[in-house]
Amino acid sequence: MSTGRGPVVRPAGRRPPINAASGGRRLAGRTAAASAALLATILLLALSGAAFGHSPRELLTILITGSVGSTFALQGTVLKSVPLLLTGLSVVIAFRAGVWNIGGEGQFIVGALAALLASRFGLVPSLLAAMLAGAAWASIASLMRLWRNAPEVLTTILLNFIAIHLLGWCVNGPLRERTAMYPQTDVALATLPRLGGLHAGILLAVFASVGAWWLLYRTNEGLRLRATGFNSSAAKWAGVNVRAQLARAMAISGAAAGLAGGIELLGVTNRLFERFASGYGYSGIAVALLAQLHPLATIGSAFFFGALVTGAGELQRTANISSAVATLGQAVVILVLIGYEYGFEYARSRSRH
Amino acid sequence: MALNMLDLDLVINALPLAILAATPLLLAVQGELVVQRSGIINLGIEGMMLVAAMTAVLAAQLTNNVALGFLGGIAGALLVAIVFGFFVIALKADQIVTGTAINLLAVGATSFVYRELQRGEIFVQSVPRIGTDVVVPLAWIVFPIVLAIVLWNTSFGLRLRACGENPDAIAPHVGRHRAAALAIEALLAGTAGAYLTLALSSGFAENMTAGRGFIALSIVIFGRWKLKGAVLGTAIFGLAAALQYALQAASRGVPYHLLLAVPYIVTLLILCGIAGKVRAPESLGR
Repeated sequence: MSTGRGPVVRPAGRRPPINAASGGRRLAGRTAAASAALLATILLLALSGAAFGHSPRELLTILITGSVGSTFALQGTVLKSVPLLLTGLSVVIAFRAGVWNIGGEGQFIVGALAALLASRFGLVPSLLAAMLAGAAWASIASLMRLWRNAPEVLTTILLNFIAIHLLGWCVNGPLRERTAMYPQTDVALATLPRLGGLHAGILLAVFASVGAWWLLYRTNEGLRLRATGFNSSAAKWAGVNVRAQLARAMAISGAAAGLAGGIELLGVTNRLFERFASGYGYSGIAVALLAQLHPLATIGSAFFFGALVTGAGELQRTANISSAVATLGQAVVILVLIGYEYGFEYARSRSRH
Repeated sequence: MALNMLDLDLVINALPLAILAATPLLLAVQGELVVQRSGIINLGIEGMMLVAAMTAVLAAQLTNNVALGFLGGIAGALLVAIVFGFFVIALKADQIVTGTAINLLAVGATSFVYRELQRGEIFVQSVPRIGTDVVVPLAWIVFPIVLAIVLWNTSFGLRLRACGENPDAIAPHVGRHRAAALAIEALLAGTAGAYLTLALSSGFAENMTAGRGFIALSIVIFGRWKLKGAVLGTAIFGLAAALQYALQAASRGVPYHLLLAVPYIVTLLILCGIAGKVRAPESLGR
């Protein structure tokens, strides 16, 4: 985005998404934006509860105690943060490269499917299969982009729906449990090591976010990736093979989302069923934007949304308020963040004239 | 699943159903075509339809009047258009991020309200259904002709398209024309959402739009941002849907869940099948 230094020459092809290029802004500004978004979200949730006759104080109390109020609640929050962290990283990498990967949901699902199928070969092959499947599913979209110029923002979304129905077919058909009692699969043959009430996937997810930081800021690949997202024509002139770069970014992004699905299967659910993904892929967008597309900040952001999802689940159980308030919260976070970002730009452009 | 295994009768019988089912889609395609001609990609059309589907049911139940139900749907879509327009027109925020947020907002808000209102009688009662279906001829004949005339034979249409091609040329008018385009889209997407609940199904269900907005966006591209292409693309899609219904009815061993994926696969193929050079409005998305 414009940093307010005179006229901006738009890159020839795509333009960088939110914040991907705002290198000029300091940590304070970013923190202020994130805090404003969090406050606005909590305020809006309380208000919408109040609009339907719930006490805002009670609502917030349940939300907080249900997410971080006890060891059990905190465990739930951390468990929910793990897939969110990985789908968030998936979006960070894609958006940094200027690729619109809205397909985290589908990549999550095929990752889990592959992990289940490969689980008989052990834990590591299973996790690798999840990453490969996620990368392959995402690459369908990048191939369609490169060969047929089909916009990935649409193809990735369409692939989500296809993955959802593929999963529906698998759990009702070929992969249905042997007893055929419920539309679900048998238990995976590998599991992640337990760590108390948690599982080793947490370490993998944190490791992945450090890895993503290393990739983006300490390697040539990361430099090329960010350059492509910042200004693809400049990157091209600087000798970056932009098309291959986009394809690689998409594959890495898909691998992260696929890994999220694999970890969720092998660490939490152990089986697959129709509503397995439950929005983790789409939530990754909110996670990434709240983290201002920074891989390390994504840890904190994933924790916040993990708490929101867990608290919202508690709201549904105890107060019969739809857990969809978590989705509502994600939307508000994104809107406040872009309002903040572009509002400042708007004010600056006004004061210049 | 060879086609010759299938009775042609089944496909033909499924055609009227396919036309009905594709009607909200066609409305959405036309709405999205108008905004994209003005230079805006509205990914939030999915959310727009979802909100309209809910407000249509609410209005229809409160007034016990189908026409008012449709108006309620349009009002809901307009509300979403105002939020979207504030961000992308006034603040010039990124259109794809805003659209994604709008969709999350719509899913969250409608699911939340749905659960809240189910406790108090609304949504539990039966919904007044459409009597004589005027929407189908409107969507397939009247709107395409009217929109084609407005876009290509009026000075308003010329300016609107200029906003999509070279906004700098008519700089002071861009915001106004894009807002007008969004209002037209809200009118069409609102009707589409209302048609979903008041004609095609018997009430609201969470996430009931099921990706129709994204399919609409794909058809706009396939139709090369032209109304003829929009109608043709939707018709092709409708035919594929008819085939799917026929397969379902014949139940010749094709699993139900795989059939559910057919519309999205067809749309993917449609997106990849854009032969030759496609020229989008020059300033689309900026």
